[in-house]
Amino acid sequence: MTGADRWSDETLLQPAWRGVVRMLTHYLPVLIFLFIALLVGVVPLLLGAALGPSKPDSEKLSPYECGFEAFEDARMKFDVRYYLVAILFILFDLEIAFLFPWAVVFDQIGLVGFVAMLIFLGILVIGFIYEWKKGALEWE
Amino acid sequence: MTDITAHWTLALPEIWVLSMACVTLLADLFFAEKLRDIAAVLTGLTLLGAAVLTFMLMGQRGTAFAGMFIADPFANVINLFSYLAVFLVVIYSGRYLRERGLYRGEVFVLLLFALLGVMIMASGGNLLTIYLGLELLALSQYALVAMYRDSLMATEAGLKYFVLGALASGLLLYGMSLLYGLTGSLDVRDIAAGLVNVTGANLVLVFAMVFITAGIAFKLGAAPFHMWLPDVYQGAPTAITLFLASAPKLGAFALIIRLLVDGSYGVMAVWQQIFIVLAIASLVVGNVIAIAQGNIKRMLAYSTVGHVGFLALGVLAGTLNGLASALFYTVVYVLMSLAGFGMILLLTRADFEAERIDDFKGLARRKPWYAAMMLIIMFSMAGVPPTVGFYAKLAVFQAVIEAGYVWVAVIGVLLAVIGAFYYLRVIKVMYFDAPEDAAPEIARDDVAAAFMSVNSVALLILGILPGPLMAFCIYALQGVI
Amino acid sequence: MLNITSILFYAFSIVLLGAATMVVIARNPVYATLYLVLAFFSAAAIFLLLGAEFLGLILILVYVGAVMVLFLFVVMMLDINLARLKEGFLSYLPLGLAIAALGVLELAMVYWTAPMGHIPAPAPFPGNYDNTRALGYVLYTQYLYPFEIAAAILLVAIIAAIALTLRRRSGTKSQRTEEQLRVQAKDRVHLVDLRANKH
Repeated sequence: MTGADRWSDETLLQPAWRGVVRMLTHYLPVLIFLFIALLVGVVPLLLGAALGPSKPDSEKLSPYECGFEAFEDARMKFDVRYYLVAILFILFDLEIAFLFPWAVVFDQIGLVGFVAMLIFLGILVIGFIYEWKKGALEWE
Repeated sequence: MTDITAHWTLALPEIWVLSMACVTLLADLFFAEKLRDIAAVLTGLTLLGAAVLTFMLMGQRGTAFAGMFIADPFANVINLFSYLAVFLVVIYSGRYLRERGLYRGEVFVLLLFALLGVMIMASGGNLLTIYLGLELLALSQYALVAMYRDSLMATEAGLKYFVLGALASGLLLYGMSLLYGLTGSLDVRDIAAGLVNVTGANLVLVFAMVFITAGIAFKLGAAPFHMWLPDVYQGAPTAITLFLASAPKLGAFALIIRLLVDGSYGVMAVWQQIFIVLAIASLVVGNVIAIAQGNIKRMLAYSTVGHVGFLALGVLAGTLNGLASALFYTVVYVLMSLAGFGMILLLTRADFEAERIDDFKGLARRKPWYAAMMLIIMFSMAGVPPTVGFYAKLAVFQAVIEAGYVWVAVIGVLLAVIGAFYYLRVIKVMYFDAPEDAAPEIARDDVAAAFMSVNSVALLILGILPGPLMAFCIYALQGVI
Repeated sequence: MLNITSILFYAFSIVLLGAATMVVIARNPVYATLYLVLAFFSAAAIFLLLGAEFLGLILILVYVGAVMVLFLFVVMMLDINLARLKEGFLSYLPLGLAIAALGVLELAMVYWTAPMGHIPAPAPFPGNYDNTRALGYVLYTQYLYPFEIAAAILLVAIIAAIALTLRRRSGTKSQRTEEQLRVQAKDRVHLVDLRANKH
């Protein structure tokens, strides 16, 4: 009996959820990983706070910038071009997202599904040509 | 599985507009340096081709793509008037856009995509398609408003429109999700069937209808969801305001028909009450606040709110006559506002926006024919016979009284009289005031002036012979109810 | 009936609600964005627990991976003055709370007075249930038309983003490799035949 089978204790679950639970067992390592990552991240911080000496005074807490007082806020305006790159990335990221389920069911959807994706990609390729020709991908 | 693409030819106009929008984008990208007008010309050709396709498919009924797409006369009629509206926008705004460095391919491509959004809404058979059509339209509109980047007002208007529009989309989506929860379907006809056993006492239904109606009211610009409208109409470049006041209103009317009539006619009593409130609030806000405006774009924006109030009167009647009169009113409103904003565009110069009412001072002496056209437009908006604006209001009042809401009709008539004041003020300024010394010479723009003349005279002719247009509107809605 | 799925559901829900609250009240907008990442992550976990495997992963891929990057850019780009951002927070608080309370009240009324009982429970998932496959199947058959509209919306977004933010600036000192490569001697050196004067 594997661990996965023991986990999906079917007497506790409605039959409707059996398929889901079987799927979820694949994610058990991810869950364990998350738990360990949380421990590794949080425990040293807590240990440090609990065990380390802490005697703050105003000099220790003040910001330090090459021996001077801080000149200005660290925050400054970014160029709008970063934003353009990010938004174009999102758009094409979304496009990729549509490709996953398409690839998974490719054997079932036949020619219609294939052509549908061709049209979808075609429309976005036009956007890509526009983007390229306009020079939105160049960093002058 | 092969069923899914059956009857796809019903969607040929949509496919054509989408393809041509892409072609226009690419053509402008590669040939704009040599052929400056290529985007505008291709847009015109697209509209022409779409009109031919729609005429060929006229009157066919059916569904395609698993019920996502409905072909019926209503969709055909909305599409045809939208083509006409976008065509006039292209004609009227060419010079204005050129003078401000906005004569760019993107503007025309976005106009085409906005048109596509209207078309998708007009023939949407599923909450999902209707919502996507709305978003396609809205996204194009936000971009168009903010396109004039040298103008702080336009940027601010674009941002306001975007934030409030997103809020309205959220309201609409929330209402749709409640409707889905109630009936278990996104398909409009399934929803209509699922609502048969639901009564007005069902709170979920009430909330669904409230949220959906609020979303629609925002898109229409009905009070109390009108706050964005004056700022956006005033801030946007006039050429874009011209568009905002045209085809999108037809799209919003399509939303009413598809969501409330096709989907929820069985529970009309619920949304009818909301429409009474919307209609009266819009009539009051639109007609009273417009009086205080000195900016003619802002005045026309408030007048839009008032017109939406009349439109809502027709909808709340809920009968075939009522909805047909509402559609008639929408079409007439679109023609009037195209002419009204078109007239502002005719008077603009490169560094002169002609957006104050004072800029119309003494127009009768400077350019008698323009003043005469503006006279017809203002009379029509005020509802003075024999213009079409009078007949449109009359038809709406008749329908409201037939449906038994005499008191609502009385309020409507009173506010129409109040509203006439500010339209007549424009006429007074044109005919009885001396021209301002600083007023620049009026530019020569023969093509736009010719189309403007046809447009204005049409307001008069349709007022004398409203029969065919009304018959057309009844034809559009016959299958819906 | 507290099995492990329920425990996980409540754990992730608590993290989600906590993170969402922190998004609103965090002083530093960058922290708020990072809390939003945590909120999206917890929501993805809840999607997974509900069996919506694909949606959960897409939420991480698209929202955590791309949208949050954009949010961070925007937060940094805006040059936000924290003190001014918090101005008026307290004066708007009562109104905001009242609207939130109204929303909760409405939801509660809807939930308790009219349970959505007309809908039959969904059919049991078959043993070999695969969420991505099921979603893909309806997306490319029944929902084919909306799928293509989505492409048009993405195209409009591309056009709008570029038209609204891209501005050619003149006089930038950038290197144009293709012009450097294409250059020929006669473009750069102009040989003038200067005869020495006879005298």
